Amino acid sequence: MTLMTMIIKMSEGLGKTCAIFFLTLLFSLPLGMIVALLRMSKNRIISNIVRFFISILRGTPLMLQLLAVTYGPYYLFGLSVSRNKLIPVVVAFAINYAAYFAEIYRGGIESIPIGQYEAATVLGYSKFQTFFKIILPQVVKRILPSVTNEVITLVKDTSIAFTVSYQEMFTIGKQIANSQTSFTPFVVAGVFYFIFNAVVDFVMGKFEKRLDYYR
Amino acid sequence: MKKIIAIALALILMLSLCACGAKEAPAAETKTFIMGIDAEYPPFSYIDDEGNYGGFDVEICRAACEKLGWNFEVFGVNWDEKLVQLDAMECDCIWSGMTILDSMKEAGYVLSAPYYDSTQVLLVKADSGYTSSADLAGKLVAVQLGTSGESLLNGDLADLAATFEDVITCDSFLKCFTELDGNAVDAVFVDLPVATSYAAENEGFVIINENLGAEQYGIAFRSGDAELCAAMEGAVAELVADGTYAKIAENYPDIINNLIFLGQ
Amino acid sequence: MILEMNNIKKSFGSLEVLKDISLSVDKGEVVSIIGPSGSGKSTLLRCATFLETIDSGEVLYLGKAAVTTQDGKAEYVAPAELRKMRSCYGLVFQQFNLFPHYTVLKNIIDAPINVHKRPKAEVIAEAKALLEKMGLGDKADAYPCQLSGGQQQRVAIARALAMKPDILFFDEPTSALDPELTGEVLKVIKQLAEDNMTMVVVTHEMPFARAVSDRVIFMAEGVIVEQGHPEEVFGNPKEERTRQFLQNYQN
Repeated sequence: MTLMTMIIKMSEGLGKTCAIFFLTLLFSLPLGMIVALLRMSKNRIISNIVRFFISILRGTPLMLQLLAVTYGPYYLFGLSVSRNKLIPVVVAFAINYAAYFAEIYRGGIESIPIGQYEAATVLGYSKFQTFFKIILPQVVKRILPSVTNEVITLVKDTSIAFTVSYQEMFTIGKQIANSQTSFTPFVVAGVFYFIFNAVVDFVMGKFEKRLDYYR
Repeated sequence: MKKIIAIALALILMLSLCACGAKEAPAAETKTFIMGIDAEYPPFSYIDDEGNYGGFDVEICRAACEKLGWNFEVFGVNWDEKLVQLDAMECDCIWSGMTILDSMKEAGYVLSAPYYDSTQVLLVKADSGYTSSADLAGKLVAVQLGTSGESLLNGDLADLAATFEDVITCDSFLKCFTELDGNAVDAVFVDLPVATSYAAENEGFVIINENLGAEQYGIAFRSGDAELCAAMEGAVAELVADGTYAKIAENYPDIINNLIFLGQ
Repeated sequence: MILEMNNIKKSFGSLEVLKDISLSVDKGEVVSIIGPSGSGKSTLLRCATFLETIDSGEVLYLGKAAVTTQDGKAEYVAPAELRKMRSCYGLVFQQFNLFPHYTVLKNIIDAPINVHKRPKAEVIAEAKALLEKMGLGDKADAYPCQLSGGQQQRVAIARALAMKPDILFFDEPTSALDPELTGEVLKVIKQLAEDNMTMVVVTHEMPFARAVSDRVIFMAEGVIVEQGHPEEVFGNPKEERTRQFLQNYQN
């Protein structure tokens, strides 16, 4: 097999890699905010339950969580295993990443000086307005570097989908590596991930720059 | 005269040095042979109920090492990286129901004479009603990544694979069978002995009676280890000759019919 | 009466910070509150602006009660009512607390437009006039981080004024500033005093308090020790505690 054929075959899986990437971000970014707010809830029971789940999601490998989401319902309740593996993959990824994002958001929200809330309160802003107009934009700026870190990790984590036989780029790479008894597909995969992350880095850099107008 | 004495002394010195060196050679440590296996490939190699390595290949290799007076060790490889791990000296051979592929020979690996003739079959659910590979047109079929089944579907059986809706590659047999049991796929393309033992232990599965591509199992050594391969082959031949081989094989009824050395 | 605070009590845990304090402020009056740190001055302002809840007592704005006390327990009006009453007053913080992601102009106009729902054009015109008055006419499009502390505090004052409050509170408005920058802020407050703005200023700037106030209150350990015309309090303090404090201050 020529290098070109390898690259073409593997880029066929790139679409699925992108699907995992974008769908995970689409769901985990807002879900993380909900989790963060529940985590900071004044209700002790709610915040402790959420804290417990976050610690499980951050304390166990994503690969295990992916296996649990994909095969758990089958082993526990005898339900069918999903034929479209994108569903369990995105569910597991979104939940896992939401836990990480939630902690980043929480750190960001808690780092905003109390004076910002007080100034907003005295000016008569509602709680809703205070959060979305005053606090959140500042939080976004503060957490952007940490979020970029997670997003870059996510690009690389998409390869974990091979554990449930989702035919993304890395799985195809492994297949070629096997049938050809060759290491080249892994090098190709490495280059793909590197380029992908270079793009992510560039885009996130633009975002950060756009928020550079204030300190 | 002095010269002669000096030469004699020098000779004695050299001889004694040589003698010391010669004495030390047999005292060197016993060779340790590390067998590389896929620990999830019953009945050839697996981890048994007590957590020990077991299986037909493991037992034969252990017995062969005994014959050779070598220490015996098992190393569980990551199946789809097995040859890389072999090259990295993590083990001395790959011996685990491994299909001999032309690509391995081309890559320069030393391969033993085949000891097992395997056949690939399709395992389906008993209530599915599938009776031939043609029934699986437009259906999903699972295969383990890095097995001979996978390479067959990409190679000699590519035409058959093209009739399936898709071929799903799982990284272990457990997952292939779970996908099948959980209705995520319609059939598993797998070595006959593996399918036989799974169908025997689990209700509701049948093997489609259709032999799809015969395969032969052998042992892979690093290029340059031809002597090691010959030594191992010799030890196995002794086991066959003294009946140990057949005795061990009796414990593995699923595969006994496919063992080449017993047929001879 | 713009503000009436009666028998205010406030504790943090076992620490009694305000011990039965009463304070009322008339329209146009400028009241300075002085006293050692920990005397409860800032807490009194925070209770008046509902940033802290009182344990018991009453707070009334323009004769309307925000908090009353029944059976020894403070009861606040409904949150929506309370939010409405916030438009009676403004508060200038020690740390300015400008919104860093908004321009100077947006800091000033956002609340009038989005909280009071006033027409944008009108609010912008007023905000620009206010900035002009603060000597910051050219800073409308700057961000807070581009301004000096004194300039930021003047923007904060403009932001409070844009809400057209009946009374303006200052919580140590110059304490976070470098000494050479306090003058520009005090000048603005003085100017507001001349314009008859009703104000309560917690401050450590004694000469300033003496110069602008109609009344000076000396607080210590959660009580009002002494109050009166600045000349009386500063020139001839009746209480020993006051005398001590002023003396320490001069040194």
